Amino acid sequence: MNHHRQRFPLQSCPHLSACRSAHGPNPFRSLQPCLKAKPLGPTSVRREPNDAVPRCSLCSSSSASRLYACLACAAVSCWSPNLHSPPHAAAHAVAAGAGHEIAVDLDRAELFCSLCRDQVYDPDFDTAVVRANHMFLPLPPPTSHPKDTKKRRRAVEYQPWSPDPHERMCIARGSSPLPPDSTCGLRGLNNLGNTCFMNSVLQALLHTPPLRNYFLSDRHNRYECQRKRVKISATDNAKSVAARLCLACDMDAIFSAVYSGDRRPYSPAKFLYSWWQHAANLASYEQQDAHEFFISMLDGIHEKVEQEKGKPQSQGSGDCCIAHRVFSGILRSDVTCTVCGFTSTTYDPCVDFSLDLEPNHGPAKNSTTKSHSCNGEMESMLSSHVGGVSTLMGCLDRFTRPERLGSDQKLFCQNCQVKQESLKQLSIRKLPLVACFHIKRFEHSSTKKMSRKVDRYLQFPFSLDMAPYLSSSILRGRFGNRIFAFDGDESDNPTEAASEFELFAVVTHTGRLDAGHYVTYLRLNNQWYKCDDAWITQVSESIVRASQGYMMFYVQKVLHYRGNEN
Amino acid sequence: MSAPNEEYASPHSQLSSHFFGDLLDSIIVDIASECHRIARLGLDRNLEEEEEELRLSAQARVRVADPSNGGETNGKYVVDIFGQTHPAVANEIFECMNCGRSIMAGRFAPHLEKCMGKGRKARMKATRSSTASQTRHSRGSPISLYSPYSNSNRSNGVDDYCNEGGLDDQ
Repeated sequence: MNHHRQRFPLQSCPHLSACRSAHGPNPFRSLQPCLKAKPLGPTSVRREPNDAVPRCSLCSSSSASRLYACLACAAVSCWSPNLHSPPHAAAHAVAAGAGHEIAVDLDRAELFCSLCRDQVYDPDFDTAVVRANHMFLPLPPPTSHPKDTKKRRRAVEYQPWSPDPHERMCIARGSSPLPPDSTCGLRGLNNLGNTCFMNSVLQALLHTPPLRNYFLSDRHNRYECQRKRVKISATDNAKSVAARLCLACDMDAIFSAVYSGDRRPYSPAKFLYSWWQHAANLASYEQQDAHEFFISMLDGIHEKVEQEKGKPQSQGSGDCCIAHRVFSGILRSDVTCTVCGFTSTTYDPCVDFSLDLEPNHGPAKNSTTKSHSCNGEMESMLSSHVGGVSTLMGCLDRFTRPERLGSDQKLFCQNCQVKQESLKQLSIRKLPLVACFHIKRFEHSSTKKMSRKVDRYLQFPFSLDMAPYLSSSILRGRFGNRIFAFDGDESDNPTEAASEFELFAVVTHTGRLDAGHYVTYLRLNNQWYKCDDAWITQVSESIVRASQGYMMFYVQKVLHYRGNEN
Repeated sequence: MSAPNEEYASPHSQLSSHFFGDLLDSIIVDIASECHRIARLGLDRNLEEEEEELRLSAQARVRVADPSNGGETNGKYVVDIFGQTHPAVANEIFECMNCGRSIMAGRFAPHLEKCMGKGRKARMKATRSSTASQTRHSRGSPISLYSPYSNSNRSNGVDDYCNEGGLDDQ
């Protein structure tokens, strides 16, 4: 159970270690009743009665920015090196002798060593602080994921597979090796009339590693699927209309065509026809939104599976269809009452992350702290501008920041039993295999009856670590970054590597909202290519970095395998 | 705000400066303490990597903006990596899977739109003829046979009633 200790290098000092061994197994037990938690603020340390103002025993100051209480004798001393030399807490440690070196910051509940003159950290102390906050810790939400709690599927060792002699024979008979070619799978797509929105997304999907592997491994055989569908149509009239359509089969056909080695541009006409039947409201000879198409397509692949299985499939686990297996993640939403601190949590699946670009000049620089007292002003106080450039991580910071809902948006608090002003914070409970970031560059205003495009440049990294946006990180940050295994921690396996992603496709939009063009940049074997409808050309990394990203596709660097249930 | 050691400051403003100073010190320590904890426990983000990415992007933008660096190949008149050139409008010919006619690739979408009876103009044509027959037979308001668009970009099709002088087919 103590594996959380291994994750945090112990940051103690010899005086703290000595203090611990002197006081037995639970050195901070006597402190527990003195730890005072607040709904949205830091934990403080006070003796009963609560309202006595702590004063330095040497100078009577109560306004010093740092006041410490000795762990051994509870003497309060200030730390004001500008006014006193040595600072009073250090003087106390020297005068009172061994055992009086460690003190606790009264306003911040942090341990301090007066001899080392540094803040020190201890997991048991942190546990005591978190315990003091127990009424503010979010409750685990009602069993939305029974799988998670009951049988956590543990990560297993990767075992490489090799074909046995019989399988080798089948492979030799049924296939021919592809020529060693670094441009395998690169093929232009003809523009069928304002269809670059479709071509650009298709190019990204054709090179999405898990999706490509799925279709090229024949996991959705379009011939078999069609046979099944014809049978359904023949026997069941009610299902026959739906059975005519299968976007996954059409995808399979495109994969085969694009990886066939034929270099002439391919016309995804059948796919367009099928998609227009699926998304009737989007069927028109007009430029469409690439992101809308992406969502519609994933939905089409999922729906087909639902029809087959005859019941709604939960998207969150990703077990329903290949589209969700690849793109589905889980978002966690915490709503906290600002009056009593009670937090309610919900989980929702998501297939991508739609991010707002900051409304005006430049966002906050990536801040290293997430302050819990969360107003916009506080956040910009903590961070600085990076020459006014918007960044993807800045957008993600914004996406996961605590947001104070207005007084006109009060939510019902289960604890207070009335509507109260609340804080809302999003975080990522489960990362998808492939993360698609959609930048909301198209603003549609229904009131002004107009739309506009935001052309501002957005910096996006080639290598991205999503760890700061995980629920475990966000939750820990909310409670002062204490050394504690919070709910939401992936205690199964160390997930540091599982949060690292790398960029493999960028869909860009140039031009105006009503007269624009989509182009996709793809990375194959560390070389970038531009896919502009039928034209595939090589481009430098710089071109990609400097481009106007609209949808960025990242894939996990390391894949973790879960054991089968069987 | 007057400086703390200004001689002519009134006792009142000296006191408020003093309090302000204390509050400011306290806030600074709050932040220092938080950052110290994050750094010591190894919870901080890899700022070096993030800064490297920012630097590379800034460099890239400068490079791309420089006209002397052969720019990105733009437009439709280039040779692709396989040595091929293509016409501006795709000229592959195939059969429409809805009606069976032979269609040129670059004109397929507008053809399919009409062929499937989708799209604004196709539906308006249908609506017009259907409403014409309906008003003859009933006093109710015209009912479109096709579901209206949900796309917020679209203007109300009825306004363009008279504009259907030929579809923009080249």
